Amino acid sequence: MTLYTERQSGSRLRDFFESHAHVLSIAVFLIACCALFTSINDVFLSPGNLLNLLRQAAPTLIVAVAMTFVITTGGIDLSVGSIIALVNASAALLLRAGWDWPVVSVLMLMLGAVIGLFQGYFVAYQRIPAFIVTLAGLSAIRGIALVLTGGFSILIPPGLFLSIGRGTLFGIPSPALMGLAVALIGFIVLNFTVYGRHVCAVGANAEAARRVGIPARRVVASVYVWSGVAAALAALVVAARLGSGSSNAAVGTELDVIAAVVLGGTSLMGGRGTIVGTVMGALTISVISNGLILSKIDAFYTQIVTGAIILIAIWVNTRIFDQVGSVRRKS
Amino acid sequence: MRVRGIRKSFGSIEALRGVDLDLWPGECLGLVGDNAAGKSTFTKILAGTYLPDAGTIELDGKEIAYSGPAEARGYGVEMVYQDLSLCDTIDVAGNLYLGREISKGPFLDKAAMQRGAHEMLRKLEIRIPNTALKVAQLSGGQRQSIAIARSAAFDPNVLILDEPTSALAVAEVEAVLALINRLKAKGVAVVLITHRLQDLFRVCDRIAVMYEGTKVAERAIAETNLEDIVRLIVGEGHR
Repeated sequence: MTLYTERQSGSRLRDFFESHAHVLSIAVFLIACCALFTSINDVFLSPGNLLNLLRQAAPTLIVAVAMTFVITTGGIDLSVGSIIALVNASAALLLRAGWDWPVVSVLMLMLGAVIGLFQGYFVAYQRIPAFIVTLAGLSAIRGIALVLTGGFSILIPPGLFLSIGRGTLFGIPSPALMGLAVALIGFIVLNFTVYGRHVCAVGANAEAARRVGIPARRVVASVYVWSGVAAALAALVVAARLGSGSSNAAVGTELDVIAAVVLGGTSLMGGRGTIVGTVMGALTISVISNGLILSKIDAFYTQIVTGAIILIAIWVNTRIFDQVGSVRRKS
Repeated sequence: MRVRGIRKSFGSIEALRGVDLDLWPGECLGLVGDNAAGKSTFTKILAGTYLPDAGTIELDGKEIAYSGPAEARGYGVEMVYQDLSLCDTIDVAGNLYLGREISKGPFLDKAAMQRGAHEMLRKLEIRIPNTALKVAQLSGGQRQSIAIARSAAFDPNVLILDEPTSALAVAEVEAVLALINRLKAKGVAVVLITHRLQDLFRVCDRIAVMYEGTKVAERAIAETNLEDIVRLIVGEGHR
């Protein structure tokens, strides 16, 4: 006799582990890094160092949240480091010329938005690969910053502006609060809004999104606006912390940011993004560079070690994910 | 729906060379033809995915011209694409509501969408154990069922099915055919593209045959048979 039985649905706990494998593994990795550096030098866990670490991580974190949106649509924004440099330099020039800092801040955020819109237009409406458009931006935008400053560092006159980067609220550095606020907004928007759903849909299958009536091109263009605004905000934080503006600010930041996002488990193929992972990715990168300094490793080695750790972490992450998740992708 | 003189070229290839077609409410039209006969191109024009180079589309006697698939959806023209057009990384409920999410202000109402998805699938007699699963985790047949459910659930006027049964199991094919009959009874005009000719004779009222970008024949189901249709498809009928 043949018995017809229904398949049992698996354990919920196991489902949870499988669908969050990426984020869980970066969390474990972050904790492991913290434990390792604490065992080498117990200054690492001191409140002073941790707050300093948060302050340093903030600009990367702010940009990485917006970059998560960009990468979730299947794009990339290589120009964020250059946008930081341009906004950083322009803000310093305007403040030195005696402009009010609130006006300057708003203008700078708008500058970031305009640059993002310009690049987003070419990516979304002219169908030029994001890699090319933003690579051009990476070169040209820093070039503008160099022209504006003549290559010199520009001192910002002391004032309330500097508290954006140096102030504290309830003992927590204001950049860290800003970073966490941006991350919280990003988390809510990506996971709980219609816009966030459309960002995922465009990244997973742009043609399908267009066919069901999602304004796919507008969504793609918009994420570059967010990354431009986020880069401008990060630039203000950097300028206020250092008290100067320079066209040489944030060289290579785009790589830290992209590493943070990918380390956190957002798929470079698009369609799957996680803000929680990005936060932990950004913290991991800061922990590594901070910990290596405390471990008294020669600064020249830091870059090599950081690069190696990122590759290993993502490799391990991919292996674990492939074994546990084995998510099929459409070719 | 009345379609006249549709032409479409891709580069030097003339995909459609002037196709006329009429669709009546409550009727199923089978669209058959050899590979590359222009079936998919033609239906994509009806669904607004491609814009025709020439020709007119009338709905209820009024000429309409849409600028994209969103507008076609607004007129109640829904299509199940051959490639299914699903988003792998989004869950079942999210895919069913893709492009018309239930929302409270800017926020997704996920609970309502899960409930709605259950209801939708139950009505169409589609068995998916968990509507919170990602579409990537489902089988080919389940994915196809979801694509069909998405287009059938929102009261379309015209429903276009491009190879809807290619990956379906026996019971599921039966369910799709039953679904087509139910939609017909509700007054929906259905266009069915399929290579399973035996299915055509079970649900269609008329069969249109396409050959090299033109419509070569149209037969009422009562006055034709399987051999006749096969002959028309391969092109012996008019030689």
